[in-house]
Amino acid sequence: MIGVFTELPWMWAGLFAYAIATLLAFHNVWQVGANSAAAALPSRQGENRILLALVSGVLLLTVALAVRWERLGHGPFVNLFELLMSQLFSLGLIYSVIYWRVPDLRASAVVVMPLIWVLGSWILLMEPVDSRFPPTYHNDWLWAHVGFGKLFLSFCLVAAGLAGVILLRTIPYFARCFAHMTDEALDQLAWRFMMLTLVFDSLMLIAGAVWAQDAWGRYWSWDALETSSFMTWLSIGAGIHVRLTYNIPIRLGALVILAIFFLAFTTYFGAPYYSESAHKGVI
Amino acid sequence: MMSWLRRLASTRLTLLGMVLLAIGAGLSYDNPADVSVWVLAGPLLLLASNLFAAILTQPGINRRPGLLMFHIGLLSICALAAIGRLTFYDARVEVSQNGAFDVAAVDEISQGMFHPSELNRVQFVQQGYTVEYRPGVVRGITRSYLQVSDGRGGWESKVVGDDTPLVVDGYRFYTTFNKGFAAVLTWSPDQGEAITGTLHMPSYPLFDYKQANSWTPPGSKKEIKFWLRLDTGMDEDADWLLDVSQAQSVLVVNNGEQRLELQTGQTASLPGGQLRYEALSGWMGYKIFYDPTLKWLFIASMLTVLGLCLHYWAKFKHQSMAIMTDKQSKT
Ligand code: HEM
Repeated sequence: MIGVFTELPWMWAGLFAYAIATLLAFHNVWQVGANSAAAALPSRQGENRILLALVSGVLLLTVALAVRWERLGHGPFVNLFELLMSQLFSLGLIYSVIYWRVPDLRASAVVVMPLIWVLGSWILLMEPVDSRFPPTYHNDWLWAHVGFGKLFLSFCLVAAGLAGVILLRTIPYFARCFAHMTDEALDQLAWRFMMLTLVFDSLMLIAGAVWAQDAWGRYWSWDALETSSFMTWLSIGAGIHVRLTYNIPIRLGALVILAIFFLAFTTYFGAPYYSESAHKGVI
Repeated sequence: MMSWLRRLASTRLTLLGMVLLAIGAGLSYDNPADVSVWVLAGPLLLLASNLFAAILTQPGINRRPGLLMFHIGLLSICALAAIGRLTFYDARVEVSQNGAFDVAAVDEISQGMFHPSELNRVQFVQQGYTVEYRPGVVRGITRSYLQVSDGRGGWESKVVGDDTPLVVDGYRFYTTFNKGFAAVLTWSPDQGEAITGTLHMPSYPLFDYKQANSWTPPGSKKEIKFWLRLDTGMDEDADWLLDVSQAQSVLVVNNGEQRLELQTGQTASLPGGQLRYEALSGWMGYKIFYDPTLKWLFIASMLTVLGLCLHYWAKFKHQSMAIMTDKQSKT
């Protein structure tokens, strides 16, 4: 049991850094709202601080993951505790890179960080149980599957963050905070990330199917996770088509994105634990 | 004709097809045998015809190379998956150590109606196997040693496992958790020829507590019951290796009132003949899978994603990610 505690302080420190990033994100937006100038811009200095806190969190979580990996002798791929920890790391990492490279979507941090905190608070309530590496996980496709999955969920998170900003703009106070942006521009950017989401979701499913063929002798068998991930993939395609076919209002589009994110989220963190038969190789 | 095709190409129909497919996927969850294949095949056929019509009539798709490639890719995945369902083969088989794979022993077969049935061309001989176990009897890597016919009269050694199947003529043999011990017995009847055979015990270590089976000698009506008392070195709290060649055994024979314990090489006299416990052996349970579309499905799906990437590249290469209306006055 002593070993379990070695990675926990690093994880708590990482989450603390994420908490600071979250508070700074709200502070930065709140300051814009408090500014009397119309369409004031968020402080660049404030944004740099948010990025610094985020990167610190990612580095601390990297140490936590490395310590656990070293201790157990395998990567964080098996139980829910590990999945949450590694997603906290990868969502933070990929979001930091996007935050740094695409300054115009930084407003999304006020939505993205609380969404990351759903995972953060969940992991804090969990027993940090050790896991055993199933025999079917010794497969290179696992890496491709997990890697594409991380990109997929991160892009979906960014799209959800932008969709959240669109919806927040309906509240007068936030409308002032985000006055320097237009719904149209946010909508364009959010759907562009949904398209990236579709690409990486497709790649994740392909890599997963190849792995499943190797691991369980079938590439697809409609287990809980496969069914749920297929529905997520289909919902992205349907979302893109709904937008094309009906030219739906931007705010409805934002709700569609959030619904897809919700589906992706439950696929990741619900389906594998909801059914005994999910990814049978674990058993 | 064209107006009919155009109506079939409606993207509203696409959405309907997608909703029906999602419902079909939900119903197929965990693949219950009582769900008709049509809950998936129906929506897929609708979507495929809708897509086919759209590819022919909609400039939105057919004038954009990347998008066209993507949608044709989706169509080809549907077609390949359908061919796969019509030609697949799925079954289980247990193969005795030092025994050859025997098509007649194949069990739990499900197959597509156009499966070419060439399984009898597969020839291999099972040798030993080992399975790594970790504390808590958690199964690790399985290594099953085979001699496989090279088709030219020679034999090749192969090691297969749970995720490294033996592939012969498109048939893939995967080891499974279902494997165990067997007793090699020779029955020499008072009159007639002696016969040697292998008696499989239940899966090990799953049924560690009931390594028992029974057999009725030819011409007799009385069943002989066997129980294999094993020492495999199994340790629930530590790493251990399941290896038939290292295991020790005693064969307990129950013939009515008579109870005997045999070491390997020992013979017992029973009513009607002599029973010799020749050796402790093993058996491996395989999952057999055949689907000629696997490689093509992979290629088609990769090309589909490539098409999507090309489409987005063409669409966004001249657009920046900037969304601000005023970029000058940042502090
Ligand atoms: C099965 C029947 C389908 C039909 C008839 C169809 C039809 C179309 C058409 C006509 C367009 C071009 C729209 C335009 O820009 O004018 C389009 C675009 C697109 N479709 Fe489909 N589609 C089908 C299935 C799917 C599926 C299953 C997916 C993904 C899951 C998908 C994803 C897309 C994407 C990503 C675009 C590009 C959107 C954009 O560039 O903004 N389609 N589709």
